Amino acid sequence: MTTEPSNSLLQGQVSTTVETEEPPAKTLERGYIGQPILRREDKRLVQGLGTFFDDVRRHGMGYVHFVRSPYAHARILSIDVTKALELDGVYGTLTGDEVAIHTDPFFEMSVEPGGLIKDYALAVGRVRHMGEPVAAVCAATRELARDAADLVEVEYEPLPVLVDAVESLKDETVLHDEAGSNVVWSGVFDWGDVDQALAEADHVVKIERLHFHRFSSTPLECAGALVEYDKGTSEWTLHCNHQMPGVGAIWMAPALRTGIDKLRFVTQDIGGGFGNKVCLHPQYVVLCLMARKLGRPVQWTEWRTDQHTANAHGNERTFFDVEVAVLADGTMTGFKVRALDDCGAFPRYEPLGCIIWAQVAPGMYSWRNIRVDFTQVCTNKSPVSPNRGYSRMQHLWLTERIIDIVASELGLDPVEVRKKNYVKAEQMPYKTPNGCVYDSGDYAAALDIALDLIDSGSIEERRKEAAERGKLLGFGIGSTLDSGTNNFGQSTLLNPDLQFSGNNEAASVKLDIFGEVVVTLGTVPQGQGHETTAAQVVADILGCPPEQVNVRRGHDTWFNSHAGFSGTYASQFAFTGLGAVKGAAELVREDMVQLAAAVLQAPVEAIELADGFARIKDGPEEAALPFMALGAIVNANNAFLPPDFNPTLNHRYVCRPYFGMVDTEKKTGQLTLTYAIQIHAAVVEVDPETGVVEIVDYAAVDDCGVRINPMIVEGQVHGATTHAIGAALSEEFVYDEEGTLLTANFYDYHVPHALDMPPLKTGAMESPSPVAPLGAKGMGEGGGGGIHCIGAAIQDALKAAGNAIVYDSCNPPHRVWSMLQDPESTRANVSVESK
Amino acid sequence: MLLREVGYARPSTVDEAIALLSEHDGARALAGGQTIVNVMKARAAATDVLVDLADLAELRTIGFSSDGLLEIGAMVTYTELIGSSEVEVARPILAEVAATIADVQVRNRGTVGGNVCVADPTNHLPPLFSALDATFTIRGGDGERTVSADEFFVGVYMTAVGEGELLMKVSVPPSSGEGDGFSGITIGKHGTYVVDAAANVSDESVRIAIGCVAAVPVRATAMEERLAGGDLSEDSVRAAVEGLGASLDPPSDVHGSADYRRHLAEVSAVRAVLQAAGRRKQVR
Amino acid sequence: MNAPTTSRTIAFAINGESVELEVEARRLLVHAIRDDLGLTGTHIGCDTGNCGACTVHLDGEPVKSCMLLAVQADGARIATVEGLAAEGELTPLQKAFNEHHALQCGYCTPGMLMSAAALLERNPTPTEDDVRYALQGNICRCTGYVNIVEAVVAVGGGENKA
Repeated sequence: MTTEPSNSLLQGQVSTTVETEEPPAKTLERGYIGQPILRREDKRLVQGLGTFFDDVRRHGMGYVHFVRSPYAHARILSIDVTKALELDGVYGTLTGDEVAIHTDPFFEMSVEPGGLIKDYALAVGRVRHMGEPVAAVCAATRELARDAADLVEVEYEPLPVLVDAVESLKDETVLHDEAGSNVVWSGVFDWGDVDQALAEADHVVKIERLHFHRFSSTPLECAGALVEYDKGTSEWTLHCNHQMPGVGAIWMAPALRTGIDKLRFVTQDIGGGFGNKVCLHPQYVVLCLMARKLGRPVQWTEWRTDQHTANAHGNERTFFDVEVAVLADGTMTGFKVRALDDCGAFPRYEPLGCIIWAQVAPGMYSWRNIRVDFTQVCTNKSPVSPNRGYSRMQHLWLTERIIDIVASELGLDPVEVRKKNYVKAEQMPYKTPNGCVYDSGDYAAALDIALDLIDSGSIEERRKEAAERGKLLGFGIGSTLDSGTNNFGQSTLLNPDLQFSGNNEAASVKLDIFGEVVVTLGTVPQGQGHETTAAQVVADILGCPPEQVNVRRGHDTWFNSHAGFSGTYASQFAFTGLGAVKGAAELVREDMVQLAAAVLQAPVEAIELADGFARIKDGPEEAALPFMALGAIVNANNAFLPPDFNPTLNHRYVCRPYFGMVDTEKKTGQLTLTYAIQIHAAVVEVDPETGVVEIVDYAAVDDCGVRINPMIVEGQVHGATTHAIGAALSEEFVYDEEGTLLTANFYDYHVPHALDMPPLKTGAMESPSPVAPLGAKGMGEGGGGGIHCIGAAIQDALKAAGNAIVYDSCNPPHRVWSMLQDPESTRANVSVESK
Repeated sequence: MLLREVGYARPSTVDEAIALLSEHDGARALAGGQTIVNVMKARAAATDVLVDLADLAELRTIGFSSDGLLEIGAMVTYTELIGSSEVEVARPILAEVAATIADVQVRNRGTVGGNVCVADPTNHLPPLFSALDATFTIRGGDGERTVSADEFFVGVYMTAVGEGELLMKVSVPPSSGEGDGFSGITIGKHGTYVVDAAANVSDESVRIAIGCVAAVPVRATAMEERLAGGDLSEDSVRAAVEGLGASLDPPSDVHGSADYRRHLAEVSAVRAVLQAAGRRKQVR
Repeated sequence: MNAPTTSRTIAFAINGESVELEVEARRLLVHAIRDDLGLTGTHIGCDTGNCGACTVHLDGEPVKSCMLLAVQADGARIATVEGLAAEGELTPLQKAFNEHHALQCGYCTPGMLMSAAALLERNPTPTEDDVRYALQGNICRCTGYVNIVEAVVAVGGGENKA
């Protein structure tokens, strides 16, 4: 069923809403929810009046520049800051020795040996990746700090460099002596009986090696903070762009030997996060120490080269010895694989990546027998952080590659094989082999929408036409899941001693004395429009126009509307963030209704909230109280209320999703609650003379359940698609043997610009989530849909020119050309054993 | 991102500029700044004095010499090149190629002189000017001299412009029925070239210059000889390129191996020549 | 004779107002605008002149202010994003960005607006291709450019390709 979108904003873009048979279980009556309400954030942002951390100034502030290691692996023999301190205008320095005295190493999540790694805010005794901060200098101007950094003398003794995970596994060079091994974590996940499935299979398809490459979302605003220290109260204030302050504080407070409440995180506008602003705690601890040591506010701005070199890559994962069990009719019954993850020099948020993928262990498919032998190692590369699609994207790419390679080798149609093996709509909610529950979705229907948008029926005709122009045309599908609302208990599957489980998010709503509704969020938006969507939800609950709802910008510890896991990450705002907003708004609503009933002398059931008034349903006009009246009574004129009636019109609510416990032995459990999906389809043309790939047609179909603001959802789909296109065709963090990052700036690390973009068509479905407070699933990460379908399309294009197998998630022209020149060595990767 | 301390001067005449460049060791000319400011931000090169050429109107002109050479002042920006009616009439390929350099902001500041004097092997104009048989007029304390492209491009980041000297203009022979072509592979649309080739085809000769494969633009002389004054059909051009790749020793880097670049050189040379040949027929 | 100096007083117009600044020669224009003049709408997103977040107008042309020294702006006319909306009255371009959801985090937005405004001054009815070409020097990591292009085309009264 196709309906033309009613809103002119979506004109020109095909959008489809498919009605489900059952009405959503827990949604509100939709007034503003579901409307493409324009964003209120825009007003300040289009005038350049946003406040990003670097816009904040403090009198007497100093600027910090980090002295960074030029070696990928070396012992630090000495650091001499004398000359730097002599430079006029330099306020002070900080070195690793001081850090080791004044702080404790950061909390590590892994079991031994990985858990024994000592990670300090500055390198202590040894550097383990190029660009690692070794010392910090603070000066009166940015330029002086930079000059002073050049005067810090560091003596290094180079050590052997590890830039390959397989090499690292040998433990010949060990990066962390305390651990004694480069292995951060390893374990086997075994569900069902894959050996049986392989024995019974009609075909066993083997793939020796698949490689998911290292890249990141490179948010346009780099990391940074301005930190103030209050000597009187021993409190720090960080004006920053940390996207997960709850967790940041958990790392920083023990390291600084202080209480969590002594760290006030204030974020305002943030220029993109995408998971790359989660592990900022080392640099922030340096700033905290310097602010205290120097007795002045200190500020650090990360530059682009620093971000690429030393902050936050996505996980790089190599898959070995894949074996897939396939029946004669194309049903895939299981697979096994050995996964080797490279987390760079320090784990930090890792080894969570070693389990997060299990949220989507079977991908979108119904096979029941899966074994993953997973190992994560350190190398002398930049540490990783949860880049958009974190760990699921890598695994989903594996499942999509499996589907396409099996289809290709066995002569099956990739569309039919997907529809055959997809989890079916009638199976929802679907429990996966490892206990996760896919809440809702009709994958086949979404695929059909994508195929329709891309006019898949005309592919063969277009292939012929392209061939006449000397181009190889290919068509590919990428199905991907956007799992959202994490159960942090999954961390105990990696380390049973961890005291983490569940999830939470907080928000507060109040009705002020003049009738203003004020909302504070625990989340930390970096462009997702939380202010607007929160206002929509509150407006619907309280019965007022969204314009009457003021949502405070950003996160502030002192708002006290955050919880331990607060932040914006893991596709969960629509569930936990809005769940908290809903909860708080409903508590305020309850107060308002009770108060109005008391004032209007009517039963509670007779009161309705609408148009900014509390009034008697179908009552006389005078029986209506504007919000202002309610606010005034409670705040300033409350004497007449009876003693046992104490409405506050001010409530904080914690949304705590319920997961149940996980089974650490079987490594099963409900690891996440919602599963949005995206189905991507791409048509590419490959120039066989150069390997250049052009995307000539592209469709992305999204189903994230109830869309609170369809306009914002579509924007997220555009953005996720673009990140994926960049990753699929050009964005790659490449190292040489010395551990030098060869793609450290936007010349060499090419991201899509306006002219690089293909025509993008989008479609949408709504399969409301039965478990989410508003039927809305978290979305936005996109799961790398473009990476999957572009690789598939390239492989399809190359079928006519050597039939190479796409084995890497990034295929720039030189790699495509290699596949054209020597398809055989890629094909040697794959073998089929048939009964 | 942050520069070292530097001295800055903004002379009003070419003579003043040359004097400043001569007097101060390591002084560098500041033209559009689209390269040198980046280099200084990275602290990859040290210069103590920048001599800003912005006020030197003499370097901003585009016109014709008495013998019909198209003369482009060193400080002409890419945007000015693109918008020039003289260029459109005399050598439209210059505007076409300039229109693919980076983006409009860079083109508003970046200059023809900067592009050739930086002599980065991946810059657009060196192979193009080489194929067009352009000449370069340099003025120093001793006076002015004009050199060929071969003489001008000396090495990576090195040209015939010495200390205390300024490039004044680039002169391009008038086109009479010639065809020009330019082809290559970039890192993203309008990005840096991985390999490129420029071709100029006339009744008398074929000139082909390959960029990005050596310190300076390389003329594909064997291919030129095979094609001179003769058959420019696709078959002929494809046959003529044989051996070009093998004759090169290009660098290997993250964007391509030496072998890939050898191959791209051949592909680009063929495409550039075919494009030029096609245009020559149109003019006729 | 202009002897080289490591700092100097410069005078220029910014958003119609005359200013005088004492700056080091090495000071980038973007830092002078942001730190010395307090106009923080112009942003920094990279350190190699690729991203365009720092785009301003210099004598009516869009340029990247991170690739200019402040001293080069002596005597020039500069326009930044803060100068677009007079008295908070948004221009049709700014309104179009809002109506078409052409921004998410807003960090690239000032640069995008300045590049788009420059385009519209020269070509009031740009096609989608014209717009992409004009915005090629402005990186966005949030929107995929789809809605940005749509917004600018819409301001010109044009039609977007489906």
